[in-house]
Amino acid sequence: MFIRKKGGRRAPPIHKPPSLKKAEGYYIGRFQAMACPCELLMAVEKKSLAKSLLTLAANEAWRIEQKFSRYVDDNLIYRINHSNGKPIKVEEEFVQLLNFAQQCYELSDGLFDITSGVLRYAWTFDGSDRIPEPAPVEALLPYVGWDKVTWQPPYFILPKGMEIDLGGIGKEYAVDRTLLLLQEKCQAAMVVNFGGDIHASGDRTWSIGIENPANLDSPIKILKIHQGALATSGDARRFLIKDGKRYGHVLNPKTGWPISNAQRSVTVAAGTCTEAGILATFALLQGEKAEEFLKNQDVQYWIE
Amino acid sequence: MQLMNPKNIRGALTIATCSLLGLNSAVADEENWEIDSAVLYYSETDRVTAIEPVINLKRNFDDEKALNLKLVFDLLTGASATGATPSDQVQTFTRPSGNGSYTTSSGETPLDDTFKDTRAALSAQWEQPLGRDYKTSVGSNVSKEYDYFSLGINGSLSRYFNQRNTTLTAGLSYANDTIEPEGDIPLELASMAINTGQARFEEEFNATRRGGDESKTTADLLLGVTQVIDRQTLMQLNYSFGQSDGYLTDPFKILSVVGNDGRAVDYVYESRPDSRTKHSLYWQTKHHFNQDIVDLSYRYMWDDWDITSHTFDLRYRWKLGHKHYLEPHFRYYMQSNADFYQRFLLDGQPLPEHASADYRLGELTGITLGLKYGMTLPNDHDLSLRLEYYQQSGEANANNAPGILSQQELFPDVDAVIVQFSYSF
Repeated sequence: MFIRKKGGRRAPPIHKPPSLKKAEGYYIGRFQAMACPCELLMAVEKKSLAKSLLTLAANEAWRIEQKFSRYVDDNLIYRINHSNGKPIKVEEEFVQLLNFAQQCYELSDGLFDITSGVLRYAWTFDGSDRIPEPAPVEALLPYVGWDKVTWQPPYFILPKGMEIDLGGIGKEYAVDRTLLLLQEKCQAAMVVNFGGDIHASGDRTWSIGIENPANLDSPIKILKIHQGALATSGDARRFLIKDGKRYGHVLNPKTGWPISNAQRSVTVAAGTCTEAGILATFALLQGEKAEEFLKNQDVQYWIE
Repeated sequence: MQLMNPKNIRGALTIATCSLLGLNSAVADEENWEIDSAVLYYSETDRVTAIEPVINLKRNFDDEKALNLKLVFDLLTGASATGATPSDQVQTFTRPSGNGSYTTSSGETPLDDTFKDTRAALSAQWEQPLGRDYKTSVGSNVSKEYDYFSLGINGSLSRYFNQRNTTLTAGLSYANDTIEPEGDIPLELASMAINTGQARFEEEFNATRRGGDESKTTADLLLGVTQVIDRQTLMQLNYSFGQSDGYLTDPFKILSVVGNDGRAVDYVYESRPDSRTKHSLYWQTKHHFNQDIVDLSYRYMWDDWDITSHTFDLRYRWKLGHKHYLEPHFRYYMQSNADFYQRFLLDGQPLPEHASADYRLGELTGITLGLKYGMTLPNDHDLSLRLEYYQQSGEANANNAPGILSQQELFPDVDAVIVQFSYSF
């Protein structure tokens, strides 16, 4: 019998204060959130303005991180995941996110599913050859499927044993939210970059170095971005390999097994980071048809 | 394994994302018409007044394709300088149509008061990318006045280099203009027939006319480079070559033939060469500060009529918060005269092959001072008001002016006020 190991309680993260640096014609702010380096570029002249924008951005990123984290025990995610089938009333921002998750589930014919996170109890993508036996994967499938939840905004009922995880959209959503918040304060050109998921605004072209996750030996890529967003899905470091067959970390929630021939990493450019991120994730879920899918979406994309 | 249908779900996804982020859906907006409307009022002191409504429609399609349609009306009234010199006496001129005459009192610049016209012009432009590195644009325009018709076509091709930081553009345009003035085309340098009650006036007038219409063609070639200098600076350099052939004369302009006393003994219709080759170099730099934008340009033009001109233009967009801006404008223009330009002809001297007293071909300087105020309304429509003052001065005075002409204002200043109101939605 397969035994679930739930993550224990963790202390709320202690945030290192953001750092601010002056560059040629703009300021660069840096901080850590959502387990990745976050960067904010601001084409402003006053240091005091840059500083207050940076504080605003970091607080927003930390707020969303706190809200979405599976590792804290005082947020809605925790309450839902521990609701034991009882209805939970969710607040407005969460209503929007769950609506969005539902639309993504429908648009992807069930392949994008925020309840698929429990499959991680069977799969650990650590580069080893430890492919799970079919039985434990099979045993988890009754706990996967958006079709099993009841969503009548603002009430959400999650059957006992199921979990939701908004990690698939959280970071991109945080990028867009942060930029929107900054734009309310300042019209200057800005770039929000949370670990390579990027949204730029304003009348200015930026050169941004992003890490190439597919090829860790190659130097970072320099991208020019004007207005709009970029997001990358995929992680070349997370896989299993057995008998010469590579098992990528993208799981099909309908089978519990990795999507075959999934691309290692897909980057998409779109109007918002959330849209770019979802398109990139959908493309990964298409397996070998990723490129065909992206062509049909009429977007700029890069497949590694 | 059942994968989802790789159909296009982008539109639905964009709407879902915008709803999540509380944004207006961008997909629906992209394919709407953008409408710019403006009314321009131009008034020269004691001379021409023009009212010009403009409507510009732009529609963006997918893949950076765009269609632009522009409709312009010009309603012109007032009087324009004929080219004749003022005098200490009353002068009588025959109207260009031959129907009647008008007089100019002493000391006044002779103006043709029959200047009244309505012009309608329509242009359409289509642009689209060709692959990743090229962009093309094609268009045509048609313009109609009471006695004038113009038809033009144009096309251009741009190539991006250096990750779109450099753009090279080559463009060609061609226009054909036809003029059919009331009273026909005057014979070049023919003496104006004046109706002093003579029985044979109509015959005399007709003797100064040839053909009912004339036309000209204009071909222009443009070569340009646009370079992104840094994240805030854009620079553009263009060379253009223009060739006009055909009837380049203004059938409504005349010259005075003056005697030793400076008084006109005759008026002759002007005559210009039938070809003109123009070259111009244009440089423009735009720099974005954090909020403000400065736009500086200079044009140097030279042609085979011996006219050279310099134009300096400076605009500074000064942002006042998010929704308002003020934009001061300064423009300085100076040109040398055409080689056949003459303020007047001297009686008894042989007539030159070409001569014109049109002040626009003389030596002149013009200064424009303007201020524009723009704002974005709560509904995201843009509104702007532009006020400009223009002053044009000709040569100080002719040194060789004989007799009474030395006491006359041969190169009067032209002052004009321009008011433009624009609304975009």
